[in-house]
Amino acid sequence: MTDCGCDKAKAELEEFLHDELCREDAADIREHMATCADCSGEHKVGIVLTEAVQRACKETAPEDLRSTVLARIRDLQASH
Amino acid sequence: MAELESAVMITPEGDEPTPATSATAPDPVEAGGGVAEATVEAVAAVEASDEGEPDLRALFEEQALPFMDQLYAAAMRMTRNPADASDLVQETFVKAFAAFRQFQQGTNLKAWLYRIQTNTFINTYRKKQRDPYQGTIDELEDWQMGGAESATRTSGSTRSAEAEAIDHLPDSAVKDALQKVPEDFRMAVYFADVEGFSYQEIADIMKTPVGTVMSRLHRGRRLLRGLLADYARDRGIAVPAGTTSKGSTK
Repeated sequence: MTDCGCDKAKAELEEFLHDELCREDAADIREHMATCADCSGEHKVGIVLTEAVQRACKETAPEDLRSTVLARIRDLQASH
Repeated sequence: MAELESAVMITPEGDEPTPATSATAPDPVEAGGGVAEATVEAVAAVEASDEGEPDLRALFEEQALPFMDQLYAAAMRMTRNPADASDLVQETFVKAFAAFRQFQQGTNLKAWLYRIQTNTFINTYRKKQRDPYQGTIDELEDWQMGGAESATRTSGSTRSAEAEAIDHLPDSAVKDALQKVPEDFRMAVYFADVEGFSYQEIADIMKTPVGTVMSRLHRGRRLLRGLLADYARDRGIAVPAGTTSKGSTK
């Protein structure tokens, strides 16, 4: 196998992170990162960024919203 | 606008064309939900004889309502405040229930709900918010957005410092930064990174080509990265120069 190089790896890193690459392309990126500290570092930042967004975006809907929605759905059905 | 509205047009009878759904494999884990309380089902069963169509509501409550926390989280990112977020989610569920007969069982319910919520947001709430960039944001050049996008040239050794810094930022800092990212970019990031939707699913939800999704996602993440580096730096956390949005050309 030949290394795909930094250009391809960097260009496709985001698609790699989001699991949008075909198996062959993903394997190329993985192979390149195994030996390239620069690209694997960039990959790491990408993962950490995604995780930070996931953590920050956790919410629980207010209890009264749940009851309001249930009530409105029942009203809606009753009116039909 | 007419086109956007048509996707959530509600007709009491199910003879409207089924709203386009991105028919991906149903997610068995999420579709199950299992949040419907026993009492809810009992009430539905009792009313069965009167209403004629109680199963639809029971089904809706069982399948759709478990997504409320997620829809609310997305609504918070869209509207940026709890009152509007609650209203938006409420409106979304009402519209979704009214159109539920047209939902094809087995297709992606979460994506369907998000599409309704996104349409509702655009048609009602976005108008109130008066974002001067709306509609043209995809065409803006980097320098018009404060330059934060142009700045991710760092060397390998400093990247681990950046990852470390991002990893230790409080959630509030990440939320603040997200709020500063233009809406379309922010929501693309939300749909991909929080909800794990595919690019195609995001394209369906946002009604935009996949290429635009990729661009929004890419720019949104770069902006966010720059803003987080700014934040870390302002608090004395070592982040390599060149990563932050402030260090770049305006």
